Amino acid sequence: MPEILRLAASEWADRASSLRSEGWVATDLCGLDRLGLVGDGARFEVVVQLLHMETRRRLTVHVAAEGDPPTVPSAVGVWPAVDFPEREAYDLVGIHFDGHPNLRRIMMPDEWEGHPLRKDYGVGKVPVEFRPQPFLQIDAPGQATTSVHAAREVDHLGQPVPGDDTPARRESNWSRSGAAEGEAQE
Amino acid sequence: MTIEAERIVERFEQGGHGAFVESFDAREERMTINMGPVHPATHGVLRLLLELEGETVVRCEPIIGYLHTGMEKECEDQNWRGATTIVTRMDYLAPFFNELVYSLAVEELLECDVPPRGQYIRMLLCELNRLSSHMVWFGTQGLDMGAMSAMFYGFREREMILDFFEMVTGLRMNHQFIHPGGVWEDLPDGWDDALERILDVLPGRIAEYEDLLSYNPVFLERTKGVGVISRDEVLALAASGPIARAAGVDWDVRRDMPYDAYGELEFDVPVEDAGDVYARYQVRMVEMRESLRLLRQIADRMPDGDHKNMDPKLSPPPRPELNRSMEAVIHHFKLMTQGYTVPAGEAYRVVESPRGELGCYVVSDGGTSPYRVHVRDPSFVNLQSLPVMVEEGMIADLIASIASIDPVLGGVDR
Repeated sequence: MPEILRLAASEWADRASSLRSEGWVATDLCGLDRLGLVGDGARFEVVVQLLHMETRRRLTVHVAAEGDPPTVPSAVGVWPAVDFPEREAYDLVGIHFDGHPNLRRIMMPDEWEGHPLRKDYGVGKVPVEFRPQPFLQIDAPGQATTSVHAAREVDHLGQPVPGDDTPARRESNWSRSGAAEGEAQE
Repeated sequence: MTIEAERIVERFEQGGHGAFVESFDAREERMTINMGPVHPATHGVLRLLLELEGETVVRCEPIIGYLHTGMEKECEDQNWRGATTIVTRMDYLAPFFNELVYSLAVEELLECDVPPRGQYIRMLLCELNRLSSHMVWFGTQGLDMGAMSAMFYGFREREMILDFFEMVTGLRMNHQFIHPGGVWEDLPDGWDDALERILDVLPGRIAEYEDLLSYNPVFLERTKGVGVISRDEVLALAASGPIARAAGVDWDVRRDMPYDAYGELEFDVPVEDAGDVYARYQVRMVEMRESLRLLRQIADRMPDGDHKNMDPKLSPPPRPELNRSMEAVIHHFKLMTQGYTVPAGEAYRVVESPRGELGCYVVSDGGTSPYRVHVRDPSFVNLQSLPVMVEEGMIADLIASIASIDPVLGGVDR
């Protein structure tokens, strides 16, 4: 069975230094959202995997991340190896690491909102990013085009929502696209 | 900071690139350029932000995430069996290792045994996979150094191994063959002859590789003393696999914390001290030979018996059983629709993949799908050592260093 050590965020900085001086090497770090798990304690945890090469042991350290946003001290100063993994935990689970020199998103685009590996960030519940383009129809040669079925509502699979084809929606291309921008800003 | 300063001084004393930097007049002309994400020498979609002084790399920052597809999140949406289809696609040059490490972690939670034959089939496939992965590395390392023919040689033998995989699993990559409890199917008839052909041919072919590159003056010139990383830097950055062993870290998970039946087999772990690109080349070359040695032992000792844990609550019944037994049909239906449950808890297991320590952290809430799957991909962690290797070196040496890390961006970004 794995050896597990549970720590509060305030203990972590000191404990990390002492673990390192005992010869432990941090090989991995990840964030964990315990929203659906039984047991009390903080919702967010940082799980650090340590390896002791001389004694051939592995140790799992759980550091509770309290607060909003959940915060733990960074261990980059102790083990430079956790630089990328801490950025990954910040990016995907939203845990802040105090004292990390370069805490930016690493996997997702910089302007992404939310943290995908949180349990309340559902799979398949992301709004469709692509607004369907209006279907253009040329009324007659030389005339401007008007749109039919402009900006239909779609559900999360991209299928058109039935009953949406009302005359009120048959507006010109220009006014419709302006309205679409207004919606996007909201 | 101190590490870098030491490295500069060291190179200066050796009269290497550091000395060149000191005497270079155009120091003021710093240039920031972008390398990748679409670049033939970055082995995928790795992007590097480089700060150059002339041809000398002053600063290098890897930027990743271009291949991120949220595989860890997708695993949470699958049942325990289905998550193997996701993890196998992470490090796509070594798919068996991904499946193996995930299966080992789930087995630890299930507390289930794997029959000896299942363990040996796993080791057989993994060692062949190590060979095929190192052959891609050999090809790309040679290609990046200007040795075009290395690619042809490496891919020629890789094809033999992929044919064997196709014969055993039905697929050339992303096999989904190693499952919690064992392997999905037994080896097909004639596997031993096919393996024998590979074992007959490969030693000569690896000797051919050595003839191509090992003593090639151009290759030596471009790899010796290039991309140096010291033992302390390796330990600080948790780099693993051939990078660590080439820098004097005598650590191999197969030998030091054995999984499956590696404890029963004899093999040597190559260790070099130079820490440069050529040392990594040597380590990988010896590893290929050691894999052949392991394969010979595995082929000789392949035990009889079940290839997977035949617990009906874990493994689907054999196909003929479905025609005879109603109970088997019910078990099959339950396993294929709902899947099995795994006791609540967490497990972390590590295997030695071609690129280093591949770890998998699995959390279960007692349900039929994983609560959290995290994969420690060796390429992801090893990539952090790239700036240490290349800074204060030439930009052409950067190419050699990337190739010697052998990153697989599918594993880096997951």
